[in-house]
Amino acid sequence: MITQVENPVLEIHDLTVSYDQTPVLWNVDFSLPAGKLIGILGPNGAGKSTLIKAIMGLISPTSGYVKIFDKPLNDVRARISYVPQRESVDWNFPASVLDVVLMGTYGKLGLFKRPGKKEKDLALECLEQVGMSGFVKRQISELSGGQQQRVFIARALAQQADLYLMDEPFAGVDMATETAIFQLLRDMAASGKTVLVVHHDIHSAMNFFDWVIMLNLHLVASGPKELVMTEDLLRKTYGGKLNLLTKVTDLISKKEFNPLKS
Amino acid sequence: MDDFIYFFTFQDPSVAWVVIGITLLGIGSAYVGTFSFLDKKALLGDAISHAVLPGICMGFILAGEKNPIYIVTGAFLSGAFATFLSSWLKKNTKLSEDSIIATILSVFFGVGIVMLTALQKSGNPEIAGLNSFIFGNAIGISESDLLIYGGLSLTIILVLTLLLKEFRLMVFDPSFGKAIGFPIESIRFLFNVLMILAVVIGIQAIGVVLMAALLITPGAAARFWTDRLNPLLILAALFSVISGILGTYISFVLPQMPTGPWVVVFLSLIALISFLISPKSGIIFRFLSRKKYLRKTHRDHLLKALYKALEEGRKSMTIEEIYELYPYQKKEINQSIIDLQKSKYIVQSQNSISLQEPGVSEAMRIVRLHRLWELYLNESLKIAPDHVHESAEQMEHLLTPELEALLEKRLNFPSLDPHQETIPREKNDLR
Repeated sequence: MITQVENPVLEIHDLTVSYDQTPVLWNVDFSLPAGKLIGILGPNGAGKSTLIKAIMGLISPTSGYVKIFDKPLNDVRARISYVPQRESVDWNFPASVLDVVLMGTYGKLGLFKRPGKKEKDLALECLEQVGMSGFVKRQISELSGGQQQRVFIARALAQQADLYLMDEPFAGVDMATETAIFQLLRDMAASGKTVLVVHHDIHSAMNFFDWVIMLNLHLVASGPKELVMTEDLLRKTYGGKLNLLTKVTDLISKKEFNPLKS
Repeated sequence: MDDFIYFFTFQDPSVAWVVIGITLLGIGSAYVGTFSFLDKKALLGDAISHAVLPGICMGFILAGEKNPIYIVTGAFLSGAFATFLSSWLKKNTKLSEDSIIATILSVFFGVGIVMLTALQKSGNPEIAGLNSFIFGNAIGISESDLLIYGGLSLTIILVLTLLLKEFRLMVFDPSFGKAIGFPIESIRFLFNVLMILAVVIGIQAIGVVLMAALLITPGAAARFWTDRLNPLLILAALFSVISGILGTYISFVLPQMPTGPWVVVFLSLIALISFLISPKSGIIFRFLSRKKYLRKTHRDHLLKALYKALEEGRKSMTIEEIYELYPYQKKEINQSIIDLQKSKYIVQSQNSISLQEPGVSEAMRIVRLHRLWELYLNESLKIAPDHVHESAEQMEHLLTPELEALLEKRLNFPSLDPHQETIPREKNDLR
């Protein structure tokens, strides 16, 4: 059940990704419409984060390609914002909330230039949007999980992008933060931005997203929520191991070289 | 004393030169080192500093004398080779990073010592100066050496200042950096080059064995004092420069003394002091604030006891009664009595103690917090009434007025706690 769209914001063509030489995504192929809030669902180890990292060019694919706004990634980086998993950074790093949000302006500033008043105003505005105005000078290690996630989202907002890729922004956050972030993402989608979110909770996904991508090593489904959130497809995504695919994966990782690499 | 004045007034131009050199060196190495400390790559600095020794010997062999350009180039190349080797091994073997670093450190240093010993046997009269590369000798630096070491230090400082934002991103969130299109790999490469240069500039003054300390310790010590990057860098540089100058001074006064170990002694002293007395994280500060807190809890307990007596209709208590209430705390109780009299919360007449006007309010507040918390545990968290006292004993000292207001609202201004005792408020005064 894969719905392809005309004039896609993001087009992924036959993407296969491996870590070392263990394939973690097989032949993923889909396209996404603009102005939607899109969820990537799948069990642990399904390759959700890998897909986002491959889109951002942080892992190079074994085969296949990604096109964003009908262009290769490097031509349109300024229009894309990436929010890594909260745990991927060391929150003991000596920095204030404002310092981190200012990093969102680095992309447009380029190398060597320092952020100035304009950038600072933008960062403050973004902190206001995520409800963190009272924490501007706070040391980041003093924040709760939910507050750290809000800071990351403020940093993404400061990038002023058109496509947002977020890796588990709802992981380990409190109810209030979840509602606040969700409302913010809704507003962003309503104003024409495309927001792609890795998510693991099926129940909230029902309410959250307009469009859903289901992954489990391969693409199970991609389409409007009403069409893909069916019992059959959910069972295909979450129901047990894909015996054959995992066996092939084992076979390949035992080889002395990567046979998938051309 | 004369030496001290002679040294620190910089009358001797050669002393002034050495101090300028060691200052630049201190700033440069503290700057680079703080970043590598934050990046959790402290061990790499140690490996590089040991690994430059074969290069130094090679440079000496090729030049036939202690030519700074040959030696610096040799040291740099051998440090670069060690760095490259460690990342190559990490990528292409399953060895863990610490074993790779330990191996590289010992192999390179071993080879270096073998070469050095062989050179000493060769009978070249120039060889004497080579020994100072092991533990460093700042006073032995000539002016032409200084131009090279100082120039390299300045380069390091300039590059780091120019690329502060990029290095910050490289350490804090490299994948975000890559995502916004920054050449993080090249930035990391440049950083490694600066790291090797920072080691190379220290070989003459500090020596290869201890150079790692000058890289890492300043940042580690400064981290106790600040939570922000810019003050951290400045403070680290300051610590490094102070110890550098003091170490050089010792070498100046006692010519047999190598500079490196003394610099490290002063640096460690600064780190130790930071660990002990810095606010928030220093252990003395923590000890004192705990002591202050305990003193407050003893005062609170005394007020509470007096208030409970008031509830039973007794205006005062004797000191013996209070001692009996809190056995083994005579000393603390006496201290509390002195403290509370000073703040006019209680008065003592002969042997009996009674609450004063402001003391009653404060005592009511503590008892109120205690009973509100008991009620909250019982009603909201469904904890049995005979299990709530212990927790309330702690929370009564901690709850803030904001939390008190929240509790009152949540429990709808209750009048009785789970043990059917009145929750005291200003209006149902017992006075």
